[in-house]
Amino acid sequence: MSADTIIKVIDVKKHYMQGEIKALDGVSTEIKKGEVVVVIGPSGGGKSTFLRCLNLLEVPTSGQVLFKGTDITSTDTDINTHRQKMGMVFQHFNLFPHKSVIENLTLAPVQLKKCTQEEANKKALYFLDKVGLADRANEYPQRLSGGQKQRVAIVRALCMDPEVMLFDEPTSALDPEMVGEVLEVMRDLAKEGMTMAVVTHEMNFAKEVGTRVLFLDSGKIEEEGTPEEVFNNPKSARLNEFLSKVL
Amino acid sequence: MQEFISAFGAKFYSAFIDGNRWQLYLGGIWVTIKLTAFAMLIGCVLGVLVASVRATYDLTEQNRRGFLLRLLNGAAKFYITVIRGTPLVVQLLIIYFVIFSNTRNQMAVAVIAFGVNSGAYVAEMVRGGIMSVDKGQMEAGRSLGLSYGTTMRLIIIPQAVKTILPALGNEFIALLKETSIVTVIGLRDLTKAAMLVGAKTYDYFLPYIAIALIYLLMVIILTWLLGKLERRLRSSER
Ligand SMILES: Nc1ncnc2c1ncn2[C@@H]1O[C@H](COP(=O)(O)OP(=O)(O)OP(=O)(O)O)[C@@H](O)[C@H]1O
Ligand SMILES: [Mg+2]
Repeated sequence: MSADTIIKVIDVKKHYMQGEIKALDGVSTEIKKGEVVVVIGPSGGGKSTFLRCLNLLEVPTSGQVLFKGTDITSTDTDINTHRQKMGMVFQHFNLFPHKSVIENLTLAPVQLKKCTQEEANKKALYFLDKVGLADRANEYPQRLSGGQKQRVAIVRALCMDPEVMLFDEPTSALDPEMVGEVLEVMRDLAKEGMTMAVVTHEMNFAKEVGTRVLFLDSGKIEEEGTPEEVFNNPKSARLNEFLSKVL
Repeated sequence: MQEFISAFGAKFYSAFIDGNRWQLYLGGIWVTIKLTAFAMLIGCVLGVLVASVRATYDLTEQNRRGFLLRLLNGAAKFYITVIRGTPLVVQLLIIYFVIFSNTRNQMAVAVIAFGVNSGAYVAEMVRGGIMSVDKGQMEAGRSLGLSYGTTMRLIIIPQAVKTILPALGNEFIALLKETSIVTVIGLRDLTKAAMLVGAKTYDYFLPYIAIALIYLLMVIILTWLLGKLERRLRSSER
């Protein structure tokens, strides 16, 4: 494994109902430092399951996930310390409704003793400013628009200084006019060299920002390649069919 | 009229003033308040702990439930079934005359009995509250690297408690009123004070009416306090 591999996935399977449902059916891939891996595919293809296996929110039925060389599926591994390095952004934001924005952002860093409350506040305000929400620090999530919530959620992950960010359809729950502001933040992140794995239906984002595209169908990587290859020269029939529907 | 007033005056005098009997009521009020407060505290702590076990069991995939978790969940279920399936008076009698038959510290025993009883009801409420919190909250906490316990404590339980606060309030009001049965083990609470005065003066009318009004007043105050707490918790989200 090369030194700049952040996540390595080895033959990961995730089965439900005693194997009747194969959400993932043997997936292997690598995510290297600085890559923006975009995951596309039909509904039920296993995109969310794949992403959630990367930080073990879903425990694979078999196979391994290595984070910088450490097998995090092993029961000897302290998953919590590794998760600190893997930020995750959810479709439905999952901000903590009983905490203000600034509390949402500083709770984990302070609890996990990464820094003092003051340092955490400072960092949170710095990132909030970067996403244009500095004036919202003391607001409660309920008072924010969807786009603002998602930007806060991204900042919440960033405040942990992650080495990779996982996005599960971050714009799917947003009103159309708010999709752009969130994608822009993600675009900036990618430009700054953040390693990202993004499940999305935003094909333009995949083309422009993605460095590699995975097409997941029926729990398998049906096809993968650069955006150029996947979108302009799709090989498999399944991908052709999928693209004809979404493009 | 004149006669009635003077007769009432005499009754009032013997019910409250003669022999400084008002002190008995005051002492009784204090015992009732102390008992309710400590029992509430135990009920809350026990309830949250038991609910955490039950909810953790419910939230864990079947094939990942360890031996300890299954054991704790079994114990929690047993506790809740027994407490909810038997009369509180009987529980009180058993705890005082059977389990702690060597101690005469009625207050301590009563606090334990009422606390343990309340804990079973609080536990089921809190569990319901925990299960009603969106699944994404636990995932968000865990994805940041927080442990299961920390996420439970800082993210899930505060939200659960907030949603069940009205039900929890009812439980505490019921508890306050139910402490009156503590007389069966001889603790001198408010009800016992009225019984003692009545037995001395051969007149139960004023003592019992008086304590009914006092209980009512205490419930009104408790309701008001709970309402205030609820409003404060809600306002933090607006
Ligand atoms: N907890 C579960 N129990 C049973 N089946 C599940 C569970 N979670 C996911 N599945 C199944 O696994 C398959 C893959 O689901 P997954 O959510 O990964 O798909 P997806 O590609 O993210 O789809 P979408 O685009 O709709 O989000 C689906 O058939 C789904 O029904
Ligand atoms: Mg999905």
